[in-house]
Formats: sequence, C-alpha cells, structure tokens
Amino acid sequence: MSEGEKKKGGFFQAIKEFIYGVAAHDSARFAMKSRASMEHLFILITMGDMLGVPILPPYYSLRLLPYVVPQISTWKRRMLREKDLTDALA
Amino acid sequence: MNSVLVLILGFVVAFIGYRIYAKYIDAKIIKSDPKRATPAKMYMDGVEFMPTSKNILFGYQFKSIAGAAPIIGPIIAIQWGWLPALIWILAGAFFIGWVQDYSTAMMAMRNEGASFGGLSHKLISPRARIILLAFIYFYLLLIAGAFGNVVVSTAIALKAAPMAWLLLTVGGVLAGQMIYRWRKDIILTTVVTVVIALLGIWLGTIAPSDKIIGATLANSRVLWAIAACVFCYFAAVLPIWRFALPINYVASYIVFLGLFFGIIGIFIIHPNFTLPAYTNFSIKIGPIWPIMFVTIACGAISGWHSIVSSSGTARQLENEMDARPVGAGVMFVEMMLALFALIIAGTIFTSSAEYGTAIAKGPGAIFAGGVAKFLGALGLPATVGRSYGSVMMIVLAITIMQLVIRFMRVATSELLSDISPIFRNAHIGTFIASFLTIVIILTGWWQYLWVLFGGANQLMASLALMLVTAWLMSEGKPTAWVFYPMIFMFITTIAALIYTSYSLLQKVLSGAVKGEALIGNTLMGLVGIFLVLAALVLATEGIKAFKRYKTIRREAAAAKA
Repeated sequence: MSEGEKKKGGFFQAIKEFIYGVAAHDSARFAMKSRASMEHLFILITMGDMLGVPILPPYYSLRLLPYVVPQISTWKRRMLREKDLTDALA
Repeated sequence: MNSVLVLILGFVVAFIGYRIYAKYIDAKIIKSDPKRATPAKMYMDGVEFMPTSKNILFGYQFKSIAGAAPIIGPIIAIQWGWLPALIWILAGAFFIGWVQDYSTAMMAMRNEGASFGGLSHKLISPRARIILLAFIYFYLLLIAGAFGNVVVSTAIALKAAPMAWLLLTVGGVLAGQMIYRWRKDIILTTVVTVVIALLGIWLGTIAPSDKIIGATLANSRVLWAIAACVFCYFAAVLPIWRFALPINYVASYIVFLGLFFGIIGIFIIHPNFTLPAYTNFSIKIGPIWPIMFVTIACGAISGWHSIVSSSGTARQLENEMDARPVGAGVMFVEMMLALFALIIAGTIFTSSAEYGTAIAKGPGAIFAGGVAKFLGALGLPATVGRSYGSVMMIVLAITIMQLVIRFMRVATSELLSDISPIFRNAHIGTFIASFLTIVIILTGWWQYLWVLFGGANQLMASLALMLVTAWLMSEGKPTAWVFYPMIFMFITTIAALIYTSYSLLQKVLSGAVKGEALIGNTLMGLVGIFLVLAALVLATEGIKAFKRYKTIRREAAAAKA
C-alpha cells in the first residue's frame, strides 16, 4: 500500500471511528457494563469455594470455578474501586 | 457583520487555541508522555477502563457534551446583542473551556481514573466529597427542569414536532429490537430506522398536533410535560438497550446530518447579522455581568464536560497525547456549535421586535426557523426544515434529560433506601425524579430556569477547576492558567446565582407572584441558595487545601536548602 493510500485509509478509518464514537460507543459501553454486572453475580456464586466456605452445593460451583478464575483480578479491582454518583453519568 | 466572518473567526480562535495554547500547556506544563501507562491500560477491565482509539473518543466526547445547551444559550443571550455573546463564546472557550475539559481528563488520568468524589476526598477534604455530590444532585434537577422546559416549549411552538418525536421514538425502539433481539445487520437497521425518523419529520408537516388532538391539548404545557416525563420514565425503568440507547443511536444521525448540512447552508447563504451588535447592559433577565456569562454555558465553558472528561473519557484514553485532541479539540468543536446557534439567532429575523415575539415562545422555534432557512439553501422545503429543526431541538434536550432522570432514580435509591426500602423500587425513584421535574417545568419561568441551570453548570466548572488547581499544586506545577479562570468563574457564577435567587424570592416575599409561579419561584430560589452555600463551603475547603499544599512545598524547599 502506497503512502497516499495509507493516508486515505487513515482518514476514512478516522471518520468511521468518529461516527461509531458518536452513535454507538455509548451503547457498547452499557452492554459491557451489563455483562460485567452479570459476571460479578456469577463470581459471587462461586465465592464460597474461592474462600473455602461452600455456600451453594459445592459440586456445581466447583464446576463453574474455572470460568471465573480469569476474571478475578478485574473483578477485585472493580469491586474495590471507589465509586460515586458521577460514575452513572459517563 | 457577515456570518461567514464569524465562522472564520471561530476557526482562527480554535486553531490558535488548539495548536498553540493547548499544545504549550500539554507539552510544557502537564508534560504528556506517550510512554506513560494510562489507567485504561493499567486497569483494563474491558468495561469502564478500556484503551480506545482517539477518534472514537472524539465522537464519544462530542456526543456526550453536545446537548441542547450550546444552542439555547446563544439564542437567549443575543438579547444583550450578538457582539458580547460572540466575545464570550470565543474568549470563554479559549481561556477557560478547553482548559477545564482537558485538565480534568488529565487530572483523572494521572490519579488512576478516579472520579470527582474520590478526587475531592483525596485533594481537598472528606467533607468536600459529600458536599460536591449533594451539589451535583440539585444541579442535575435543574438540568432536567431546564431541558424539560425546552421540550415542552418546542412541542407547543412547533406543531410538527410531536409527530416527528413520536416516529423517532418508534424508530429507536425498533432499532433496539432489530439489533438486540432479531440480530439484524447494523447497516440495514440504521437505514430502516433513520428513514422512519425522517418520515416522521415529513409526516409532522402534514399531520400537526393541533389537527390530531385539537388546539387546546396541542397547546397544553401539562400534556407535553407529562409526555416528556413519561418518555424519560421508560428510559429510566426499561432495560437500557430496549429504549434509551437505540433512540439515542437513531437521534444521533438526525442531529449530525442537520448540523452538517446546516453549516453548509450558512456558507451558501452567508447572511449578515440583522439584530443589533449591542442592546443594553441590563435586560429583563438581568445585567450582562454576571447573567450573560451563565446564560451561555456549554459553548464557552460547562461543568458537565468535566464529569464526562473525568468519569468517562479519562478511563478510556490509551495514550496521554490523546487528551489534547479529545479534551481540548472537542471543546473547540462545541464552540463552533454555539457560533452556529448565534448565527441562527442573529440572522434570521428582520428586527428585534420579530426576535422578541419568537423568543417568547421558547428557543426551539428560533432554532427550527434557522435550520429551515439554512437547509432551505440546499432545497429542503421550509415546513419540512422547521419540522427537522424542532425534532433536533427535542432530541438534543431529551437525550440529556432522560440520562439525568435515570441517574436521579439511582441516586434516590442510594440516598433514601435507608429510610425506607420502598425507595429501592425503580418505579418509586423514577416517579420522584419525574415529579420534581414536572413541578419545575410547570411552575418556573423558563428564562430564569435557564439562568439557574447555567449558573449551577458554570459553578460546577469552577469547582472542577478548583480540584485541578489543588492537583497542580500538589504536583508542584504552575497553576495560573487554571487558577485565574477558576476565580473568574467562581465570582461570576456565585453573583449570578445570588442575583437570580434574590429576584425569584423577592417576588415571593413581596407577594408579586401567586399560584404556580409562587411554587416555581420558591423552589428555584431555594435550590439556587443551596447551590451557593454548598459552593462557598467547598471554596473554604479548597482554600484550606491550597494553604496545605503551599506549606508542604515551602517545607520541602526549606529541607532541600
């Protein structure tokens, strides 16, 4: 690809991204927030086994545990981060 | 003066502000470092902290800050003459507006993506956090009231608007269904739903509200206030993908197309300003200082932007160098939007008397008239153009209003659920927020309400600048570029809020107002006084923090010596 074509592609890509930012980025963020809330609930279900205190019948939560492990560090950060009213706005 | 000259002047100010002033601050004072890890990278959770392209964030920031305010402010403020309004828009954006948007994003980014509550706790004091959050709640109530009033006055003044609004809602709900339930292609969905919205704009011209529901109902403020709140009620209680987001999605195309072609229309027609450059120092809503400086909020400086910059954008910037194009760049684009509104108000009337008659009906009618004129240059019939302008205005106002009511529902639940579990119910929280909004819409005179909203908004900006000043002092960086704008904004907004609250309450105490105006004046006056008191307490806390940082610096310098 020549330099000119790269620039052209870059410009159209920028326009495309701008329109996405105006029209759909917010929707994508809200969708991700909803998903994260669901995942938090999921982690809470398996929390007992993480701590060694079974809350649900252990068989099922132990089956779920492998799916949760990769999320633990993110979950911990999100849960412990201080939140305030402005978080709901942006 | 020719309108194209105003646009060119705007481009020059934006160019110098962005390329020279902002670049200098970014490089020499903040010292943006492309190699420094941003919170988006350090704390990436795929949700709130997510490295995102600057182009996407440019669009996101623009969409989040460009509501109805940059349009309505100049339309009202032209009552003092177009020249003071023009000077304030240019100077405000150049010296204060971008400074706030950029610096709040930078401050949040350098403080691990913390939001205002956490920042005020850390940089000022624990008490500052509580007061700031209480301030924000009442500030949002004023936003809902002021924007609700715009929706109501537009629906009454332009009878084509309700049908266009209805079909836009239908198109939006359909978009949600097509994307999330039927899994249809996004391009097909966009085309179908935007066409439905455009059809609504055309249908509005042949089926105006007074023909469908009769003149009495079509002119009823109560009906449209309830309609606006019912719309926001659905937005607050339904899943966000079902109602609020897809409607915003379809609406963004309508607004974007209207602005784009409207600006082309200005270049084609290039009209001269027909209203006077300067009228009087003092008009019905108050003197030029401080009232004009809060009437034009978002086009010059707005506290709302600082919330978006800190809680939203700062957590998504993938590179510190992107803060300038996103924070400062978008502010200058918004400045151009305010100039567009100023040109509309200043050029479409033949005399001040004609403008006076139009402004009495609300700013929506003026904006729609301007959109009709400039889209007319591209061949769109005037009636369709007015309908287009009216739905643009409604959309710009109601998208912010629904967000605010949704937020107030959450805040009501958090603040009052300890008193009674009933407040945890989403319907109860939304009802309380909607009820308060309806009371303000129906009882307050819209121009005073706008000034109060502008005052609260600008005061929010000065509080944001106070936080930035505290942060810069804690880092030992130069503060003058933020400190003096903060002082100017603080004094101006406190003066504006005291003046307006005094005017409102004086009418109540002297018995000059009765009935609904009595409720509206009392409520708005008390909210204004609360905001002033909260800001004064915050300022006291801020001064203590400044002294603390100065002492720390002095002691550190003495220890070094």
